[in-house]
Amino acid sequence: MYANKLYFEATALLYTLSVIMILIVIAGMFASVSLWTKGKKPSLYHAINLPAIIKAFICDVVLQLQILKISFIRWLMHLCIFIGFMGLLAETSVMAFMSHFLSPDNAIVKTFFDYESGGGARILDVWGEVFGLMLLFGLAIAIIRRYIIPAKQLETISKDTVSILFLTAIGLTGFFCEGIRLTYPEYASVASYSFAGNFLAGLLKAMGLELMNYKTWVWVHAAISILFIIYIPFSKAWHIFVSPLEIVIDASERA
Amino acid sequence: MENETKKAVKNTEAEGIKASASPAETPEAVVDKNSPAPKLKIERFSPRQLMELDACTRCGECSNWCPAYDQDQRESLTPRGRATLYKDIIDRQHGMFSADTFLGKLAGKKPVTIAEMDDFAKDLYACSTCMQCHYVCPVAIDTVELWERIRETIVDIGHGPLPDQKALTINTKNYDNPWAQPRSSRGRWAKMAKKKKRIKDVPKDISKKNAEVLYYVGCTASYDNNVEEVAINTTKIFEHADVDFGMLGSKEKCCGSVLLRVGDKVSFDRISTENIQQFNDLGIKTLVTSCAGCLKTIKEDYKKVAKMNFEVKHTLELIVDLIKAGTLKLKKPVNLKVTYHDPCHLGRHAGIFDAPRELLSLIPGIEFIEMERNRENSRCCGAGGGLKSGYPDMQNLISQKRVDDALETGATELVSACPFCYQGLQVGIQAMDAPIKMRDITELVCMALSDDDEEKKPAAEAASEAK
Repeated sequence: MYANKLYFEATALLYTLSVIMILIVIAGMFASVSLWTKGKKPSLYHAINLPAIIKAFICDVVLQLQILKISFIRWLMHLCIFIGFMGLLAETSVMAFMSHFLSPDNAIVKTFFDYESGGGARILDVWGEVFGLMLLFGLAIAIIRRYIIPAKQLETISKDTVSILFLTAIGLTGFFCEGIRLTYPEYASVASYSFAGNFLAGLLKAMGLELMNYKTWVWVHAAISILFIIYIPFSKAWHIFVSPLEIVIDASERA
Repeated sequence: MENETKKAVKNTEAEGIKASASPAETPEAVVDKNSPAPKLKIERFSPRQLMELDACTRCGECSNWCPAYDQDQRESLTPRGRATLYKDIIDRQHGMFSADTFLGKLAGKKPVTIAEMDDFAKDLYACSTCMQCHYVCPVAIDTVELWERIRETIVDIGHGPLPDQKALTINTKNYDNPWAQPRSSRGRWAKMAKKKKRIKDVPKDISKKNAEVLYYVGCTASYDNNVEEVAINTTKIFEHADVDFGMLGSKEKCCGSVLLRVGDKVSFDRISTENIQQFNDLGIKTLVTSCAGCLKTIKEDYKKVAKMNFEVKHTLELIVDLIKAGTLKLKKPVNLKVTYHDPCHLGRHAGIFDAPRELLSLIPGIEFIEMERNRENSRCCGAGGGLKSGYPDMQNLISQKRVDDALETGATELVSACPFCYQGLQVGIQAMDAPIKMRDITELVCMALSDDDEEKKPAAEAASEAK
């Protein structure tokens, strides 16, 4: 049963690609950090102020209230992209860990991978839907602000466009995979948990595209995701890691 | 008001805003502009600063607020554009994919040319280092520190500062002031003021007679006849409140702000070290200055050079203390409609926003009206960071914008607490022929002092003064 749920099937190719991805990401991060370490002047002039760091982390990194002060729509856009991407990354990471490092008989694995052994799988379905929609909603605002009704202060270079394209492709192919999965009859009873995916499945069926090769599309989704993760340290998306660091350092220094 | 601004600047609009001259236009720069530029000294940065170049999310909020970009809409003038361009230069010179590495050649990276570096340098100096970009940056990049370090690396390789800025740094090194005035005439304003009975006495030479407070006058108030009122009024207030103070007179040296702002760090280190040594040896409790630029430099930048054994205050902070202690009484109503301009170096750089407003509230009779852009979001007058000398036309336009802000309040007096802002805003007022008077905050305090001193004056002296 559920032979088509192949997201994290441990194949040699997936492992190889993952290792290559991690090595390139580490190399990219090393390239950036080694450039930073060429700076020889002190970075900090004051003792580390932990309360200021915690406050800045909660307010300005997680909740991004500093953006809300400037503009609600920008805050909504960035928060949706940020939380959406992080939520999907967390889901994928947890699922990958469970399927690769825990025994298939493990109770947790059963809970999250077998619809008949608990509610875990349903939770993951809803999780993926909510965070996936958040990501796409945020990206839709970004695309409108940048390309359709350009905001005055935006100046687009290739790095901006490439990052948006990657994220949009990840989001869309993710939902497409889910739609294909739900066209298979064995998932009919749980399809409602993946509400957007189910809607897409309906469209695919209406177009006569049901029962497409799910595995192929999962690989397309995985390949785009891997390429984007490789791209992160060389791209604008590097700010996902660097900007929070700058925010907390500045908060500590000015406290 | 916008129309008035536009009218007043028609000449500059017609010609476009130009730098005083490009570094490449200097005679010694007759070189092949397409040859590789010298490598920048990346070690001048802290790891954090190099990280900041990666931290910019390119959201462009800075461009909404940048006073230079407001006048000249070129991306390279925005903090975002500057960070992007410099990151590219650094990557091509020092990164894993730099132009001289195998990987860089594989990636098609080209060496940074002299022409590129020149273009970057010109735009780099079109910045008043007002720090507005830091306050609006969602990532809180410490922008001005970053710009100043970048300027240092540009000065290292001879591509900065701009010629007119360079003249100021050479003067500072040769005369200990940017205005090429003799050291001996630094205290001339005090002698003249004493002669005209504007002050009771020339402040004592603190290097000879101890005092609790050193009044650090600064170069602009010492030498500029139009701004010496700041020094005279400060002295008058201190005399009135019996403050135990003195000044250094001809032994006072420039704080070095002009050097640091345009990137001459080597000279700044020398002058700041000498100053700190001199100040520490005086045994003072407090150093007071009426100049926001000097305050920022001595209070914020000097502590990165060496330890200081005294506190640093702006004059208006000391005046508030004196009023609260009951030593200084402001009795005479000053019936003026006033708006206050936060100097960038006093407000955003040193965090002093409340004290000037508190002082204005303590002056009887004053009707204080805030400009729409105030405190952290106060619009810069454009005089700082070498912008006034490097891009005088742009400074003029920026200043007019600020005067517009002031006129919109309906105030008749535009008050600030910095001789440099005084000069900078005066440029705008004159260009627009605006119906508003520029005043330093010390002038208002003096106007509110009791008439005791005036009453004591012999009638002949008062008549002579009036004449």
